[in-house]
This record gives sequence, structure tokens and C-alpha cells, in this order.
Amino acid sequence: MAAPQVHHLFHAPIADHSFSFDKKTLAVARENNVELYQQSGNKFALSDELKGHEKTVTSVDIAPNSGRIVTCSQDRNAYVWEQTPTGWKPTLVLLRINRAATFVRWSPSEQKFAVGSGARVIAVCYFEEENDWWISKHLKKPIRSTITTLAWHPNSVLLAAGSTDSHARVFSSFIKGIDTRPEPSAWGERLPFNTICGEYLNDTAGWIQGVAFSPECVTVVYPSAPEQPPRAMLNIATRLLPLNSLIWNGENEIIAAGHDCEPFRFHGDENGWQLAGSLENKAGEVRGAREESALNMFRQMDLKGQAQADTKLKSTHQNTVHTIRTHEEANGVVRSFSTSGVDGRVVIWNT
Amino acid sequence: MSQINYRTINIDALDPESSANFPMESLLPATLPQAASASDAASAAAQVRQMLRGGDPEGALRTVLDTAPLGGDDRAKEVHLATVIDVLQGIRQGEMTRILEGVCSGDGGAERADCLMKYLYKGMSSAAPGSGTQTPKKPVSPQDTGFSQIQARNLGEGGGGQQMSVLLSWHERLVEIAGTGSIVRVMTDRRTV
Repeated sequence: MAAPQVHHLFHAPIADHSFSFDKKTLAVARENNVELYQQSGNKFALSDELKGHEKTVTSVDIAPNSGRIVTCSQDRNAYVWEQTPTGWKPTLVLLRINRAATFVRWSPSEQKFAVGSGARVIAVCYFEEENDWWISKHLKKPIRSTITTLAWHPNSVLLAAGSTDSHARVFSSFIKGIDTRPEPSAWGERLPFNTICGEYLNDTAGWIQGVAFSPECVTVVYPSAPEQPPRAMLNIATRLLPLNSLIWNGENEIIAAGHDCEPFRFHGDENGWQLAGSLENKAGEVRGAREESALNMFRQMDLKGQAQADTKLKSTHQNTVHTIRTHEEANGVVRSFSTSGVDGRVVIWNT
Repeated sequence: MSQINYRTINIDALDPESSANFPMESLLPATLPQAASASDAASAAAQVRQMLRGGDPEGALRTVLDTAPLGGDDRAKEVHLATVIDVLQGIRQGEMTRILEGVCSGDGGAERADCLMKYLYKGMSSAAPGSGTQTPKKPVSPQDTGFSQIQARNLGEGGGGQQMSVLLSWHERLVEIAGTGSIVRVMTDRRTV
């Protein structure tokens, strides 16, 4: 397993990050702006800034094919950015929400995107040709609290949402004229807008921080106590601090990361899941093995009150990981994935 | 002329959409066990004390955690808390780790560990040590969050201090086995003990 590539971009929290399809461009949410980085050699260099939001940007997503960027922010707005010869041009989206927007993701068809918000609604937005304008339809019932996370089913109709009311739900976001009628699946046959296809409560009533559809799309997972197919729900009780985000790697593996600052693997199948260990390779590190002279040790104790400065975590990330995304995959198997967190680092890991 | 002080009107009570009217019962899972009454808790207590006297502290702890009245009323919960604390106090320091490893392993071990963690925190928060005759406290916040900072603490006063030190040493051992994840789950769990 090759060592992870670490890109320390700046000393500020990264709320969300997204790579373009060719992995050359990296969009990172930094405070009120979104910064675009271009790969040059092994490094990412700042190339552009998307300015327009008035409050902290909470989420950013690049559509893989069209290259359009959607951003949302605590100022209750979302923008769709399109590249023009004169630079990136923003288009305001009418979200009609009265609380912060928290999470945004393009649907796989790229015709729609969904914005989660603190106003207890999910705004499903699509482009209306007649008015030349992005408009939104609200998924409202029965959400009782802030939406923290969203995930699209590959058919672009089903949408999984996690919320601070401890429920993970699967909705239909079918919009006539935009979507093709989905194939009947385990989630239902007819799926008009706002059909609730599944609603799952987490036993310990913790917040749902991440959801994902498994490759075969019968399972939705959420961390902090994850995992649920349409029929049963399983929680994985771990020794760890809460997890924030997760991805599937094949049908039998989940990779998740969170407040423990490092990604963890979970293995399992329908019979049960368990923690398989960290992806961090700590054993290979040689730290602090050098011989300390007595003089130096006492000097350190005198200056700092401790013999050895121990302010660095042993993990690659030095603070909470917010987002984990698939970087490269082949046939449903993740070859590498990227994480970003509060420490201003974007790390690309090989599985 | 009637005088209304508009500033003191609780507007949240009038707004069905307000977050203050969040239905807390929606956070209770459907798998919650049947409501247990105080007499059920008392009979469980008798059984557990029997096991403790019979020299089976591990079995006693296992039983007392498996029979926790998660869906019971306050009275049943108080009685059961007293039983749990009796069991914890009846186990010697040297045996704690061995017994905990036994109780927290096997089928349902993680649930038992979380349940014990709930009792440790509840034991630490209750003012009258080990008594089953406590009047239920008034909730401090409008939504009963399960946590309150305004509470009499029993710091170092005779029996209370001793009970606290027992609970703290159990807590230390339990965190070694079940990790910090257990504490986080107990903080959010609405299936209170």
C-alpha cells in the first residue's frame, strides 16, 4: 500500500472538497469562498476563487461530465458556477429556505441537485429552460430537523438523507419532464415526488452524519452507528469517536472517517458488520527514537514543562475529517479515495 | 383593560412548526422492550442479589444489565439503579476488569457495555446515594435532555463520596474496554435507564 498523498492547502478548516472528473482540478470550500486548485506536478496550486457567498460555504460539488460547480452556504443561497471564457459565472438558485443550506450534491444525471438545509427541507433543484433559471421543489415531510447529509441513487430519482433528528430517510425526487421513469426496485414501483421509500431511526438516537447507497443500491448506510438495508437495520457499535462521512468499497466494505482523524475500514455482509481497522500505517513511522542528551531533556523540561514536544497527532490528518469521497474506482471497487478536514489538508489514500 | 406583556408570551407553544415542539418520542426506537413496573424491577433485584450472595458476581452484573427497564417508569428505573449500584459495590477492585471483560463479550456485549455506562452516569448524577426513595427531579430545561448542570453534587460527603469513587473506577475500566464510542452513544441515547 503506497503512502497517502498529503496536500496541506492552508491553515483553515475545509468544509467540503470535490475533484473534477480528470482529477486535475480540486474545489475546496474555504470560509466564504470556494478556491479552485490546479494540479501542477505533485502539487495543487491555487488557480481561481469563486466569490459570491456572504457567509461560510458549507458544501461544494463538481459535476463530473458538465464540469459545473454547485456551492451552497450558510447565507441560504446556492450558486451554480459555469466556466465561460471570461471566468466562472455564477447563477443564483432560488432555494426558498429560511435557514442555512448545509449540503449539496449533483444527481448522477447532472440534471438536478439536492440541497439540504436547516429549514427542515431538502430543495431539489432543476433547470427550467423557459425561464432560464434554476428552480427548486421542496421535500418536506416528515423531516423534523436539520439535514446533515445527502446521497443520490444512481437512477437520479432516489435520494437518501440523514438528519439531526436521528433518522435516515430515502425519498423519491422524481420530477416530471426531467427524469425518466425509474425501473421498479426494492424501494418501490411507482415513485411520485416526495414518496418516502424508507425511514430508519438509529437506536442510540445519534445524529446521522453520512449516508451512502451500496453499489447494488439496496443498502443505505450512515456512520456513528451505521448500516441499513430496506428490511433490517444494523448498528455497528465501535470504540471510536463519531464518524462523519463514509463511502462503499464493493458490497462488503465501508470506509468511514470522522472525529478520530483517520479513516477506518468496516467489513461485513448481511449477517453483521465489524470494524476491521485503520487505513493509517502507524507502525512504519519512526518517531522520537533519537537519543536525547540529559542536558537537552532538562532544558526542554525547564522551557516547556515536558521532556518531549508532543503536539502532533500520529494520524495523517491533524484534526477531524469532514468529507470522504471516492477518487478513483473501477467496477465498483475503490482504488483511491480522498479526505478533507478541519486541519486544511486534502489527503488521497490508496486502498 | 387587560394588560398583556407580549414579551413573556411563549411563542414557541403557539407555533406547531417550532423546533421547541420537537416530538422527542420520535427518537425512541420501535424495538423498545415492554414497560416494566416497579414490582418487576424489585423481583429482578431479588434475583440479582441472590446471584451476588451465591458468589456469581459476573452473572449478577450480566442479569442486572439485561433486565434494565428501558421502557419503564421513573419508579422502576430508580429501583433498578439501586440494584445496579449494589452489584457494582459488591464487586472487588481486583475482579473488575475480569468481570467486565466477561460481561462485555459475547452476544449483546456491546449493548451491555452501553447500558452499564448509562448506569454509571446516572449513578454519578443522582444526589442521594444508593437510595431507592428519591423523588423525581423536575426537568430543568423545557425539553428533558437527560443532562442538567444545575444539580446538587455529592462531593466527598461520607457514603456519597465512596459511591462516587466506586463508579469512577468502574468508568475507567469500562472506557478501557468499550472505548470513548460508548460515552458518545450514551450521550445521545433516548432509551434512558
